Amino acid sequence: MQKPSVLLAAIASAVALVVVPMISARADDDRPPPDRVITYSPYPEKNFPNRVYFGDTHLHTSYSTDAGMIGNRLGPDEAYRFARGEAVTSSTGLKTKLARPLDFLVISDHAENLGLATAIVESSPDLLSNPWGKEQHDLVRQGGRDGAIQAYDNWMAKMNARTDPFASNPGFARTMWNRLTAAAEQYNEPGRFTALIGFEWTSMVFGNNLHRNVVFRDGKDRADQIVPFSQYDSLDPEDLWKWMAAYEQKTGGKLLAIPHNGNLSNGLMFDDVTLMTKKAIDRDYAERRMKWEPLYEVTQIKGDGEAHPSLSPTDEFADFETWDRGSFGPEPKTKAMLPREYAREAFKRGLAYEVKLGANPFKFGMIGSTDSHTSLATTQEDNFFGKVVLQEPTADPIRFEEVITGRYAPKGSQIYAREASASGLAAVWSRENTREALWDAMARKEVYATTGTRLMVRVFGGFDFTAKDLDRSDFAEQGYRKGVPMGGDLKAAPAGKAPSFLIRAVRDPDGANLDRVQVVKGWLDATGKTHEKVYDVAWSGGRKPGKDGKLPPVGNTVSVKEATYTNGIGTPYLAAHWKDPKFDPKQQAFYYVRVIEIPTPRWTTYDAKVFGVKLPTDVPASIQERAYTTPIWYGPGS
Amino acid sequence: MGSPRTDWNGPSEAAKIQPTQHVSEGPEQCSPLRRLAREPLLHFLLIGIALFLYFGRSASDDSEATRIVVDQAQAEVLAQQFETTWHRPPTDQERAGLIETYVHDEILYREGRSLGLDRDDPVIKRRVRQKIEVIAEEIVSRESPGDAELAAYLQANPAAFKRPTIVSFEQIFLGPEGSGGLERRLADARRALERGADPGSLGQPTLLPSREDSVGVDLVAKRFGGQFGAQLETVPLGQWTGPVVSSFGVHLVLVHERVPTALPSLEEARPLIAREWESGRRKRALEENYRRLRQEYRVVIDTTPTGSAQK
Repeated sequence: MQKPSVLLAAIASAVALVVVPMISARADDDRPPPDRVITYSPYPEKNFPNRVYFGDTHLHTSYSTDAGMIGNRLGPDEAYRFARGEAVTSSTGLKTKLARPLDFLVISDHAENLGLATAIVESSPDLLSNPWGKEQHDLVRQGGRDGAIQAYDNWMAKMNARTDPFASNPGFARTMWNRLTAAAEQYNEPGRFTALIGFEWTSMVFGNNLHRNVVFRDGKDRADQIVPFSQYDSLDPEDLWKWMAAYEQKTGGKLLAIPHNGNLSNGLMFDDVTLMTKKAIDRDYAERRMKWEPLYEVTQIKGDGEAHPSLSPTDEFADFETWDRGSFGPEPKTKAMLPREYAREAFKRGLAYEVKLGANPFKFGMIGSTDSHTSLATTQEDNFFGKVVLQEPTADPIRFEEVITGRYAPKGSQIYAREASASGLAAVWSRENTREALWDAMARKEVYATTGTRLMVRVFGGFDFTAKDLDRSDFAEQGYRKGVPMGGDLKAAPAGKAPSFLIRAVRDPDGANLDRVQVVKGWLDATGKTHEKVYDVAWSGGRKPGKDGKLPPVGNTVSVKEATYTNGIGTPYLAAHWKDPKFDPKQQAFYYVRVIEIPTPRWTTYDAKVFGVKLPTDVPASIQERAYTTPIWYGPGS
Repeated sequence: MGSPRTDWNGPSEAAKIQPTQHVSEGPEQCSPLRRLAREPLLHFLLIGIALFLYFGRSASDDSEATRIVVDQAQAEVLAQQFETTWHRPPTDQERAGLIETYVHDEILYREGRSLGLDRDDPVIKRRVRQKIEVIAEEIVSRESPGDAELAAYLQANPAAFKRPTIVSFEQIFLGPEGSGGLERRLADARRALERGADPGSLGQPTLLPSREDSVGVDLVAKRFGGQFGAQLETVPLGQWTGPVVSSFGVHLVLVHERVPTALPSLEEARPLIAREWESGRRKRALEENYRRLRQEYRVVIDTTPTGSAQK
C-alpha cells in the first residue's frame, strides 16, 4: 500500500508548495510598516517555571532561645540583610557578606519561648512580670558565663519537662511572633527577594528528633492570627497537622511543614507506626502526612540523609556527611533504625505502602537548608560560620571539638563539631520570585536539594521523549508538554514503552565543575520486596565504565595544603536522555536525579589553611558536593 | 519699778539711746512686756521655734516618705497593664491584688533607695540607661518621617537605593573559553544570525536562559557569573555582540533594551527608604544624644596600663 500514500504525499507537498506562499503573501500584507520598532515578549502565553531560585528554609536568629541565650546577638533584620547580600557584623565581631545573595529566606525560629533571649537583653517589662522570666533575666544580666549557663540550663529543664514557663503570659509569645512577621514584611520584595514567614516546631521524644519547619504562604495579616505551635503544646506530628488545618480553616491561608534530620530520630522519622498510640500507619495517615508535609529537608549542617552506606552498599557516593551514632538523647543508634531514617529507603518503603494502603506516606520532595543558629545563612565550604555562634570561624579548638549530639549517650556515640556539614540550599523551579510562586512550587514538589552550591538541574520524565528533545531551545516547554517535571507522576505506561528522562545540569556559575549525573531508581517487585539501582547517565571526559560496571572517579585537583582546587577536570554542563533499560510496567517505581561535582576542599581544610590548625583525620579533606532532585514516581494504575 | 538689774550696769556711753526712740514707750518704759521683748531667752526661744517650724516641715516630708497614695488614675494604669496581657479587665479581686502588689513594690523600693541599694547596681544602671535612650529616641523625632526627610535620606545615601541597570536580552552559548573550535563556532554563529537563523537553534544548550526580559543586571550576574552582567551594561543595543564571557565561557548576546541605573523616585521606593531610615534613626538618635551629654561631663580615666603586648 506504499505507492498510493507516496502519491498522496506528493500531491500534498505540491499543494503546500503552491498554497503556502500564497498565504504568506497575505500575511505580508498584514505586516506592520517597517519603520516601527516592535519589542515584544515571545512568551506571552507561557506560564511554566523558567527559573530556579536558591534559598534557605531553616535559619535561626537570636529570637530562638537556643541561639539567643548562647551568644547570638543578630535578630531577623541582620539575618535578612545578610541573605540579601549586605555586609553584617557577626555575633563574634567578624565582618561578613555573601558573595551572591540568596533569592529567598525562611526564618524559622523555635516556637518554644520565642524571643526570650531578646526580652532578656531588653529587660522587657513583659518578661520581668513573669517570675521565672525575671529569674533568668537576672541570672543573665548579672554578667559572666556562669549566670548565662545556669539560665540556659533552667530553660532546657523546662523544655525537657514540657512545662511552658510563660503559660500564664500568652501575650509574650504573641508580641515576639508579631515582631518576626513584621520583619518578614519589611524585607519581602516581590521579584527580588522573598521573605517567607515560618517557625520551627521542636518536637523531641527522649532526645529523638522529630522537628518540623512550618512555612506560610501568607503574609503578616494571616500569620498574626495565631501564635506558633510548640512542643509544649504537643510532641505528636499528627497534632501539628491538626493545628495547621485549624489555621487554614480560621484564616483561609496555607501552610506546609518540612521535617528534617531523620538521622537523629533513632528510627522515628519514617516509622511504620504512629508516634503516640504505636498503631500501624493507615491510608488516612498517609494522605494527611503527604498533604501537610510535601517536602523533606534531606541535607543540612547536621548531616546528609539521602542514603546510608549500609543500606546502599554498592553506591560509592552513599557515605556523605553521614551522622549515624545516635540522636540528641542517650540512646545509641542501632542498625534496625536506619531504614526508617534515610530518604532513599523511605521512598522505597513508600512504594510498598502505596500498594498496601492505596496511599504513599513517604512521597516527599527533597530540599536542603542550613539550620544555622548564627543568623547567617552560609552554605559554602569557604564561608562556613558554623552551627552556633560558639563555632564561628576561629582557631579555638571548640570549632572542631565541641560535642553536638550524644552528650548523654555512652562513649563512642558522640558527634563532633568538625563533622558538621557546610550545607545546604533549597532550589525551587518557579516563574517568579514571590511568596505565592515559591510556596506553590514547594507544595507541588518541583524542588531539589543541594549540599550548599548553586548547581542547576532539571529533569522531565515521560514516555515520548527522544534524544533530539534534549537539545531543543524550548526544552522546558517540551518537557512539560510531553512529560512531567520533578515531583510529578507517570502512570500506566503505554504498551511497549518505557519512561525516559531528559536531564540537564549546569554547575554553580562561581563553583566547581560537574563529575557526573546519575539516576537513582527504586522499585517494588512482585513479591513485595524493594530494590534500588544507581545509573551513571552522563559524565565528564572520556571515561568508560569498568568491568564491574562502575565509572572511574573523575580525579581530584584539590591541594589540601593550600585549600584550593581547579576546574581542570570535570565539565560545566552535562545533559542526558536516559531510558529505563529494565522497566516493568507492573511495578511501582521512583526515579530521582543526583548530580555530583568534582572534589573541592572541605571547610575543615579551609580552616586548617586559614588558621593554621591541625587538619582533623576523621573527616575527609575534600568532598564532592551534590544535588538531589525530587523523584518522578511511576505507578501502574491509572 | 523694779530695782536695776545687778548684772547690767546700764548702757555704755556709746550705746546711749536717744530719748526720742523711746517716745512711744513713754510710760511703759519699764513694762514687763518690754522687758520680756528684750529677754535673750525669748530670742533664743523664738529662734528655736523658727528652726523647729522649718525642720518640722521636713519632718512632715518624712511622713510623706511613708505615705503611699493609690488614686483612681494609678489604679486605671494597673488595670490597663493587666488588660494588655490578659485581653480582659481584671476582676475586683484581681484589682485588689494588683494594688497590693503595687504597694508592696513601692514600699520595698523606697526602703531600698533610702538604704542606697539603687546605687552601683549594674542592672538598675542599665535599665535607667535604657529609659534615657528611649527618651532620647523620642526627642529626636517623635513622628514618622515626612516626605522631605525621606527625600533627603535618599539623596544622601544613593548607594543603598540605586536600582541596578535593567536589561532585556538574548544569548547564545558557544562553549568554554579556550575550547577547541571556539573561534570557528563563533564565526559560524555570527554568519548564521546575519542570514536570519533562529537564535534558539544556534550554540550549545544549557540551563541558562536563552532570553531574559526586564531583569536587573545583578540577578543576571548571579546566574551567569563572571563579568557577564557588567558587560551587558556596555555592549551596543540591538545587535548581536561577542564574545561576551561568563564564568561558563563565551556567548553572543543581543541586548534589546536597557534602562540605566538610576535612583528611584520617592514614590517608587517609599517603603524601602522608610525602612532604611527607620533602622538608621534609632542609632542616630542615640549617638546624637550621647554626644551632646558627653560634652557636659569631664571624664578622668585613672588606671594603670597592664603592659600586655598586642600579638
